[in-house]
Amino acid sequence: MGTNLEELLAELLQIPVTKVTADLAMKDLDVWDSLKHMELIATLEQRFELQFSFDEIVSMRSVGDIKRVLSSKGVAA
Amino acid sequence: MDLRGKQIIVTGGARGLGRAMVDKLVSLECHVAVFDIDAAGLAALQATHRAIQCVVCDVSNYEQVSAATKKFFADGGAADVLINNAGILYSEPLVKFTDDGLKLHNPEQWDRVLRTNLSSVFYMTVAVVEKMITTRTKGVVVNIGSVSAAGNPGASAYSAAKAGVHALTRAWATELGPMGIRVIAIAPGFMDTDSARAATSEPALRETIKRVPLRRLGKVDEVAAAAVAAIENEFFNGKVFELDGGLIV
Repeated sequence: MGTNLEELLAELLQIPVTKVTADLAMKDLDVWDSLKHMELIATLEQRFELQFSFDEIVSMRSVGDIKRVLSSKGVAA
Repeated sequence: MDLRGKQIIVTGGARGLGRAMVDKLVSLECHVAVFDIDAAGLAALQATHRAIQCVVCDVSNYEQVSAATKKFFADGGAADVLINNAGILYSEPLVKFTDDGLKLHNPEQWDRVLRTNLSSVFYMTVAVVEKMITTRTKGVVVNIGSVSAAGNPGASAYSAAKAGVHALTRAWATELGPMGIRVIAIAPGFMDTDSARAATSEPALRETIKRVPLRRLGKVDEVAAAAVAAIENEFFNGKVFELDGGLIV
């Protein structure tokens, strides 16, 4: 698993790391469906040793959203 | 999972296997809520276990389940574990030779059995899992399946419903696992219950027992114990635990 957020997301979403930009969103990738989103949440929670609230999970619709939520929890990603 | 203090919903908990599970869970100091269509049965249950919550609900009816679960949660109810136990036994051959010719399986009975044994599992689970996810509860869904899921001749509807329950168990375990929610199934074999004895002739029961290496029917307490063990084991997920005395199919 990648050591930074972009590498982690690239591996999960099976896309080149160069495509993991802040504006990459769920709606842009067929592979980023609900099941993948749950897997992504579980992976982030394990990787950063935290738990997201339901509202945070729902709000994380893009890479930028993910970074914002992680930052609010004191994680510099 | 340490069951003490956990909030557990049991469907069909007023009698039989469900009642055995309620008794077991109460003895383990769980907070139990029972959803059942049998108001009189619930009243009798409440007389024995005063602290449990009883909800009169036909779990084969989506509108009733939706309304009852909404009210249950709005009134402060919670669910760490959902045990989808409600179901009915039913046997009818697909076709039967009678003096009047071929008698075909009643389609209304087919619908009734599928609704009560399979659709109810979907209706309850979708309502309870929504609550588990929104509260980030790492809960457990326990589905009571059956060895009949393998295809019991003379019980098409029941077999199909239970096969569906097993399939839902595997599908949901995969979907919900990342959220920390486990989904498991217990598949009892032939059990010594009032409903089983009512649905099966004495000669058929004797023949059934011959197929069990332990030469007896299972006890509801044994199913309750299996359910508790599966709930407590936090790595048991997505599988059907067959409890049948080694039944030879």
